[in-house]
Amino acid sequence: MIELQNLTKSFGEIKAVDNLNLKVPTSTTVGFLGPNGAGKTTTIKILTNLITATSGRAYLNGVDVLTDPKKALSHVGAVVETPEFYPYLTPVETLSYLGSIRGMNSKEIARRSNEVLQVVKLEQWRKTRIGKFSKGMKQRMAIAQALLHEPDVLILDEPTTGLDPRGMVEVRETIKSLKKLKYTIFMSSHLLVEVQETCDRAALIDHGRLLVYDSIDNLKGLSKVAKIEVTTVADITDSLLLKIQGMKNVRAVERVNGRTLVLTYEGAYEQRSELLEAVQATGARVAGFSPVGLPLEMMYMDLVKESR
Amino acid sequence: MVDEPKAVHDVPGDFEQVPIVWRYELLKYLRSKRLLASMAIAVVVLSLIYILPPALGTPYSGTDSNRVVSLLSGADVGIGLPGLGDTVQVGLLNRSQIDLDTLVIFVNGTELPSGGMNWTISKITYQGQSAYAVVFLTNVTGKVITASYEWFTSPESFESIFLNFASILVVICATFFGADALVSEFQNRTGYLIFPNPMKRGTLYFGKYAASMTAGIMVMGLFYVGIAILSLISARGIDADFGLSFLFSVEYLMAAMAVAYLISTLLKGTTGATVLTFFLFIMILPIVDSIAIFTGAKFDASLTFAAGVIGYILLDPYPTDWTQSFAGFEFNNFYPAPATAAIVMLAYAAAAIAISLVLFKRKQLAG
Repeated sequence: MIELQNLTKSFGEIKAVDNLNLKVPTSTTVGFLGPNGAGKTTTIKILTNLITATSGRAYLNGVDVLTDPKKALSHVGAVVETPEFYPYLTPVETLSYLGSIRGMNSKEIARRSNEVLQVVKLEQWRKTRIGKFSKGMKQRMAIAQALLHEPDVLILDEPTTGLDPRGMVEVRETIKSLKKLKYTIFMSSHLLVEVQETCDRAALIDHGRLLVYDSIDNLKGLSKVAKIEVTTVADITDSLLLKIQGMKNVRAVERVNGRTLVLTYEGAYEQRSELLEAVQATGARVAGFSPVGLPLEMMYMDLVKESR
Repeated sequence: MVDEPKAVHDVPGDFEQVPIVWRYELLKYLRSKRLLASMAIAVVVLSLIYILPPALGTPYSGTDSNRVVSLLSGADVGIGLPGLGDTVQVGLLNRSQIDLDTLVIFVNGTELPSGGMNWTISKITYQGQSAYAVVFLTNVTGKVITASYEWFTSPESFESIFLNFASILVVICATFFGADALVSEFQNRTGYLIFPNPMKRGTLYFGKYAASMTAGIMVMGLFYVGIAILSLISARGIDADFGLSFLFSVEYLMAAMAVAYLISTLLKGTTGATVLTFFLFIMILPIVDSIAIFTGAKFDASLTFAAGVIGYILLDPYPTDWTQSFAGFEFNNFYPAPATAAIVMLAYAAAAIAISLVLFKRKQLAG
C-alpha cells in the first residue's frame, strides 16, 4: 500500500506538491494524472527517495520513506523518468548488481534476469553493454530492473515514454499482466488512454493539489462536456456554424472539413438529442454523427481548466 | 495501516552492501579504460625516467677509470684520526655509491694497496651530498692521486628521482577515479536507477570511495613495484624508507581522493569537477605553497606541501629547513616534518570525507 499524508514539497516560493493526501490500496493500479508541472514527478521522486519532502509523510507498505528509505524501498520497484544505466555494464550485470543490493542470491538473480529480460524482450541483448542501447531499449531495461525482485509495489513514472507504438502496447500489456498478479501499481502518465486502459483508479493533480481521486468508471461520469462529430449532406456554411455556436449548451464548434464539424457541448444524452434536433431544424441535413474523445480526457480537460 | 510485505528477500546490511558497490564501481574503472590509462602513464613515466638520463649522458651506474682525486685536509670534511688528528689528508670520490671491491687507488700512476697503513675509506656527507672519503694514512702531499672504481647511484638517490612524480600520479588517480564519481550519478542520470534501491547514500558513497582507492592503490602499487625492480637492477638495493614512502603516498591518495569527492559533490558537472580537481592539486595549491615559502611562512597545513614527505622520507638524514640570503632577498627551503605531514593528510581525508558525505546525502535529483 502507498499512502501520502499532507505531503508538501516547496522549491523556494513554489509549492510543487501542496498538502497532498492519497491512498493506493494493496493490489490496486492507480494512474497519476496531471498537466506538466502539476507535481506528479515530484511526488514520485519523494516516494523513491530521489528528493526529500518539505513536510508530510509518504508511506510504502506502512514504512515512511522519508525517515527509513532503505526499509521502505525494500519491496518497491521503480522506474522514474527514463533512467540512465551504467554504460559499461550489460543487462545481466546490471540486474546482478541491483539484485545483489536487494539481497537476491545468484541463482535467483539468474532465474529472474532471464524472466524479466524475456518480458521486456531484451533477452538477445543480455550480454551487450547498455551504452549501446537506444532510448526505447533503456526504458524496457528500466522496467526489467523494476520487476527483477518481484516487488509488492511498483512505482512507474511515465513508463511508456520513449517507446515506439509497439513498445507502448507491450509495456501496457506487461502492466496489465502484473495487475492480474495483484501488484500494487502507482503510475504517472500523460497518456489518458493508457491510464484508462490499465488502471483501476486515477488521481488527478494540478498545482500540487489533488483535484479528484476515484475509480475510472466514476471519473468518466464526472465529465460535464462531450463531443460529437456531425456529418451533413451538404457543405457546412459559415452562417450554419454561427447558428450552432449560439445554440443552448454548445461550448464550441469546429469545422473539420466541408461536410463535417465537431461540436463540444455540456450535458448528457438528453442535451445531445436536443442539439441534434436543433441542428436539423436549421435546414442542415444531418447524415450521421458519432461521439468523439475519451470520457477520461474530457474529465481531465474539464477539471484542469477549472483548477486554473 | 501497516501492511505485511511479501518477505521475499532480506536486504543486506549497510556493510554487506559496500563490497557490492565496490565490485561494480571497480568494473567501471576497468572497462572505461581509466585504470589502464593510469597504469600506462605510470609505466611511461617509469620508462622515461629510467631511459632518458642515460640516453642524455647521465647514467645511473658506470666505471670511473683513473679519475683524479683532489686532496683536502681532514679538518675540511670533519674527519680526524687518532694520532693524526684532523691533519690527515682526504680524497673525495663524489659518487653516491661505489663498489668498494673494485676500488683501486694510484699514487703517481702506481697502485697504492689498500689496508695496512696506506689508506682507508669512509662514507661521509659533504656540503649536503653523500660522498666517499679516501683517508690517507701515509703522506701523499704533492703527488698525483687517481682512482678507478665501479659506481652506481644509491637506492636513495635513484628512487628519489622517480618519487618526484609520485604525488603527480596521486593527483592523476584522484582526478580519474574520484572527481566525477558522485556528480556523474546526477549529471548522467544514473541516480534515477540506483537511488530508488534499498541502499543508504552513505553505503553507496563508501563503496565508491573504496573502489576509487583500490584503483588508485593499484596504480601507485604498480609504480612503486616498478621503481623497486629498477632500483634492484640499477642501484643494487632498495632504500630502507621506501615502504614508508609508499604508505605516505597512499595516505596522500586518501586525502586527495576525499578532496576530489568533495569537489564532486559541490559541482554540477563532471567536466568542471575533473578540471578543478586536477588544477587544484597541480597548480592552485602549489602556487599557495610557493607564495607562503616566498614570504617566509612555513605552511604546514597545506596538503600539497605535506605531500612532499613522499620523496623526502628517503633522504638520510631527513632535510631540515634553511634560509639563504642573496641580493637582498631571502630564499627559504622548507620541508614537512613527517609526523606533521601524516597528521595533515589524515585531517584532510577525514574532513573532506565528512563534508562530502553530508553533501552527497543531502543532494537531490531535482532536475
